[in-house]
Amino acid sequence: MTAIVECRGVTKHYRLGTIDVAALRGVDLTIDKGDFASLAGPSGSGKTTLLNAIGGLDRPTKGSIKIEGHEITALNANALADLRLRKIGFVFQAYNLIPVLSAVENVEFILQLMGVEAAARRARAKEVLRDVGLEGLENRRPARLSGGQQQRVAVARALASKPAIVLADEPTANLDTKTAEDLIALMSGLNDRLGTTFLMATHDARVISRTRRHIVISDGGITSDERRKLAEAEPA
Amino acid sequence: MLFDLAWRNIWRQPHRTALSLTSIVLASAITVFVLSLQLGTYGTMKESVLKLMDGFAQAQPKGYSDDPDIRKAISDPQALMTRLEGMPAVTATAPRATTYVVLSNGPRSYGAAVFGVDPSKEAEVSTLHKTIVEGRYLREGDTDAAILGAALARNLKLSLGDKLIMLGAAEDGSVAADALTVVGLFATGAPEADRQVVEIPLTRFQTDFAIGKRANVIAIAGRHLSDIQSALPELRAAAHEKGLVVRNWAQLEPALNDVILLDASFSLLMYVSLVVIVVFIILNTLLMSVLERTREFGMLMAIGMRPAQIGRMIWIELLLLACIGVALGIALGSAITAWVARDGISFPSAEALFSRWHMPATIYPQLDAVSALAGPLAIGTAIIVAGIVPYLRVRSLCPVSAMRAS
Ligand SMILES: Nc1ncnc2c1ncn2[C@@H]1O[C@H](COP(=O)(O)OP(=O)(O)O)[C@@H](O)[C@H]1O
Ligand SMILES: [Mg+2]
Repeated sequence: MTAIVECRGVTKHYRLGTIDVAALRGVDLTIDKGDFASLAGPSGSGKTTLLNAIGGLDRPTKGSIKIEGHEITALNANALADLRLRKIGFVFQAYNLIPVLSAVENVEFILQLMGVEAAARRARAKEVLRDVGLEGLENRRPARLSGGQQQRVAVARALASKPAIVLADEPTANLDTKTAEDLIALMSGLNDRLGTTFLMATHDARVISRTRRHIVISDGGITSDERRKLAEAEPA
Repeated sequence: MLFDLAWRNIWRQPHRTALSLTSIVLASAITVFVLSLQLGTYGTMKESVLKLMDGFAQAQPKGYSDDPDIRKAISDPQALMTRLEGMPAVTATAPRATTYVVLSNGPRSYGAAVFGVDPSKEAEVSTLHKTIVEGRYLREGDTDAAILGAALARNLKLSLGDKLIMLGAAEDGSVAADALTVVGLFATGAPEADRQVVEIPLTRFQTDFAIGKRANVIAIAGRHLSDIQSALPELRAAAHEKGLVVRNWAQLEPALNDVILLDASFSLLMYVSLVVIVVFIILNTLLMSVLERTREFGMLMAIGMRPAQIGRMIWIELLLLACIGVALGIALGSAITAWVARDGISFPSAEALFSRWHMPATIYPQLDAVSALAGPLAIGTAIIVAGIVPYLRVRSLCPVSAMRAS
């Protein structure tokens, strides 16, 4: 298997005035191509910190992080921005979309940042929106989409650049049960069909049960990491 | 792409944008109107003063202005006048000879400046003939006629038709004396002119002071002062061939030039404060919107936008506001100014003050490229330059803390 992400001895300390908060305490973690993994743990355990470090949003205090074999901890701000643009797809809990752009424009936006030419951009944006089941809603602005539809646009945008990995930070936290299950089913399907690698921080048991790899983090350290056969989806 | 996004962003808060735009538009329009009015006032002041006697420029012998000696003379004024009148900017020229004399009437004597003028040519250059309050102006064919300031006539106890004795020094140093008849009195409102000036026909002057066909200066008139100002190099070249110099309006009326410069520097202070206030309002509004969107900027950085690109987007938002506001401000200010300029603004209460500079009580704003653009462009430029503040602030954002902002 090819390693998409390799974390070795990753620690992260935050300084809060004079207090030193250790958010990550020596994380070793490898995410393989095609993984559909959940990163579970109580609030404050370090899930967001780890995702941000892997996604090049934040630099670890110590340790090494490689994306597709390339060390990213020494990259400068612009190189990290490029890494996020081309190799990483982020999906957050909320405020994912640019409010003044329609669904299709939100997806196109990153392709534009990448320098993709107009026709190819539009075609690719429509394609990924179709992949997430939003055909027909392309021209709506975020304010006129439901919470679940907004998260689907965010997933579509994360996929648009064909990134090495999609990092989702509590993507279902703001959704009702049914919508949350639909979203996780969608991501699972994308993982199956397109082979996209997902790492999702969550503390939602239903989300965890739908993933094939269960990573548990507690107090800044990985405490368990198991692979399971996916349970059959219970009938709704 | 950034342009499109910036354009949409500024309409997210339509009320706020409308307010920002209004302040730019109003400030720009105010500068257009006030500057036009100011330039119009200066223009009226200059033209009124210069038209009275000076002309918009004068050809003079070298050194004449420092030491106006009757012996510094133009030997063939007609040749240069013909040459100057052939230039498109020049509408008329008039030859003049001048010296200082003593005027007397019986026991009363006063010093005065006597001007020998060509009556028909003089009327095209000088508005003095319009200020005649009694009698008439000089005319072609006059021989011993003289006109003088009403105050001077009063001092000498002279009335129309009276004889006036003039005593001076001819060019060769001999005594020049003549008896003249008062045919007209003028009142310009300017004390120096009304108390010290007498005009007689140039031919009479040339005979009295034995200067042949010569004159001391040639006064030059144009349709507008600006026409003559831009024709100065041509005028200078023509005068230079005859060994003469050309003095422009500021050299002819240095005191007026100083008054205008002083007034202009005070108003510059006002304009600068206006610009500072507007920039402060706009910048404050933009910084507020930057602060509100911090979390969104965090998201934009997370999906791969560079901080400098976000900074650029904010700066473009400011640029769009400034451009729209300045364009509307120029349009509004010019429209108001043009409308006011049709009838002018009258200041009946300031008539006394204005007449000091022989000015009419109605001022016409002068709308031109300078008055229409200088203020608004200064405002626009200041806003765009001030945009460096939000730009730097956004550039220094770090994605994680931006996203944690509430
Ligand atoms: N920017 C920060 N400054 C200070 N402390 C932080 C910051 N980000 C996270 N932390 C702290 O680090 C720890 C881990 O936080 P986080 O990764 O957000 O946890 P989780 O996402 O699992 O809830 C917490 O104790 C949190 O308070
Ligand atoms: Mg978190």
